[in-house]
Amino acid sequence: MAAKKLRRARLSQELCERLSRHQITTCQDFLCLSLLELMKVTGQSYYDVQKLLCRVSRACAPKMQTAYEMKLRKSVNSSSAFLSTTLHSLDKVLHGGVPCGSLTEITSPPGCGKTQFCIMVSVLATLPVSMGGLDGAVIYVDTESAFSAERLIEIAGNRFPTYFDSDEKLFCMTRSIHLYRELTCGSVLKRIMSLEEEIISKKVKLIIIDSVASVVRKEFDTKLQGNLAERSNFLARGASVLKYLAEEFSIPVILTNQITTSLSNGPAIQADLVSPADDLSLSEGASGSGKKESGCVTAALGNTWSHSVNTRLILQYHDLPTRQLLVAKSPVAPFSAFFYTIEKSGLVLQDGKDQTNLTWEGTNPALQTIRVRNTALKDTLPDAALPSATD
Amino acid sequence: MQREVGSLPLAPALRAKLVAAGFQTAQELLETGPCGLSKELGISKEEALEALQVVRQECPGDVARTAGGSGITRKCTALELLEEEQAQGSIITFCSALDSILGGGVQLTKITEICGAPGVGKTQLCMQLAVDVQIPECFGGVAGEAVFIDTEGSFMVDRVVDIATACVQHCQLIAEAHQEEDHLKALETFSLESILSHIYYFRCRDYIELLAQVYLLPDFLSEHSKVRLVVVDGIAFPFRHDFEDLSLRTRLLNGLAQQLIIIAHDHKSAVGDVVQITKSEGVNHTISHYISWLPRCAASSCHSKCRRY
Repeated sequence: MAAKKLRRARLSQELCERLSRHQITTCQDFLCLSLLELMKVTGQSYYDVQKLLCRVSRACAPKMQTAYEMKLRKSVNSSSAFLSTTLHSLDKVLHGGVPCGSLTEITSPPGCGKTQFCIMVSVLATLPVSMGGLDGAVIYVDTESAFSAERLIEIAGNRFPTYFDSDEKLFCMTRSIHLYRELTCGSVLKRIMSLEEEIISKKVKLIIIDSVASVVRKEFDTKLQGNLAERSNFLARGASVLKYLAEEFSIPVILTNQITTSLSNGPAIQADLVSPADDLSLSEGASGSGKKESGCVTAALGNTWSHSVNTRLILQYHDLPTRQLLVAKSPVAPFSAFFYTIEKSGLVLQDGKDQTNLTWEGTNPALQTIRVRNTALKDTLPDAALPSATD
Repeated sequence: MQREVGSLPLAPALRAKLVAAGFQTAQELLETGPCGLSKELGISKEEALEALQVVRQECPGDVARTAGGSGITRKCTALELLEEEQAQGSIITFCSALDSILGGGVQLTKITEICGAPGVGKTQLCMQLAVDVQIPECFGGVAGEAVFIDTEGSFMVDRVVDIATACVQHCQLIAEAHQEEDHLKALETFSLESILSHIYYFRCRDYIELLAQVYLLPDFLSEHSKVRLVVVDGIAFPFRHDFEDLSLRTRLLNGLAQQLIIIAHDHKSAVGDVVQITKSEGVNHTISHYISWLPRCAASSCHSKCRRY
């Protein structure tokens, strides 16, 4: 919208030529100037310039809709407002499942089940609408080369044995999952920008990016000056393109994120560079007072990214082999926690365990602490040697 | 009042001609008349007449020669202002602790800034205010409509439906308890459909659409005169990336803030804008210079640098 040429904003031909002599060709250039500059450039009086501003603004401004029209439109195709995850308690809390038209983020320490969740959800998206799916293709952007087609077939066969009873159906499902391996930030961004046409041609109903954090943290070392701004720039640009795609086509977008340790006084340290044996609480903090700096493990990529995603699900360890799924940020769901295990058929919720709705005690939700495996193991096996964090 | 020619809102070329011809004050222009002007400056009689009309619009006091009439500057005593402020309502939230902290509710004709960490409830509060502005007067509300400008895409219609349903139920409970005529009459028109139809939603994808929408807002508000609340959800979001020219960003934000102040005052509505919390406070500083009152929401963690009285 911003790059719309002034010609199409119904300004007179001679005015457009006059403006282009001053290098003002798009609506963006026009609206960024102050009124005095506009008067100088167009040679018109104050009131005329205001009328021109209104005309150009009308060419760029978004269309008005009332909330009632939005609700009517949603109720017309209500089945496609959510992608059910087939985890019933989670779907109930989220009012249907992963919401279409917004960004959902899955954060967890390594090995908790992010990629498993993504693979499971890709199977679900290809199912017909009668079974709760979206009956469409899936675009899976894989930056860690963690996608396994065998696991995909295993989950599909075990979760829906009656539906995937023939090889034909399995092949049909795998044909509609399009996998892209991108290894740098630049290629990920280019891929995201090119998705618009692919979504239309392949009838895509789900976009998964696994994971955003790995490429970003590989390329942007935040200790170097200037990198933080560039990183935020890249993330914000990616987020706004993904939001546009999600809203325009009404499809869910799932992103995965990693964890970081944020010390209360110091900068965040990338958790995967710190070996699990390091006890961060004993290291000398920036204050140097010898006081124990309590670090907490939270989602990576900073505050800007936390603002951009609409829903955040956190997976964390509870005790072997149970893990916990938290709904940390959602516009429709309260803070809730569920226990699950990873089995042949993907994630399985454990109903009947202690499902008390945890009320989180008023801390910053972006800094929701995440339990990493070593602390859980420390409790249960005090004498055994700690295994490495990545299995 | 002898206004200088150079300060009149005429086209720059015309202004240059006037100054070159030796005119110094607006009074001289008016005395010359259109024919004289056209001969002296070499412009057509129609152009001269147009210029004179602009001058008359700008300086009505000179023409009428009345002492009191001031068209552009409004003056009143502090007592009149106090009475005005006490008479106008505020948007109640049906949450008594919040309303008492805010001094009755979110005030009209003022800009209220809501800032907080991600996920703390800023958009929820904005959606609630968009519903609460429509509460009928007999229940204590201002019976107005709402404009919701969304830059982040976090407006969820289903959530607004939940909030609106709860609000209608709350009003029904009040009506049952008090059993008054006007309560029941108001409830006939205060329903889920009417609430949703009076929330005007604009989705702005980048800062240009936001600027364009705010330029068009005064016209929209004159057409929909019952609007009493304008919410800009995420005033910082479109300006946070892709801006190499920081001085341009500051200038655009200042312009936005000033326009919102004018809108809030002229149309007697409340403007709420939502700012994100971040470690770098460049954007927040700019906005906070123009904020006249910051709500102290119990649920949000306000950044210390943004608090203003």
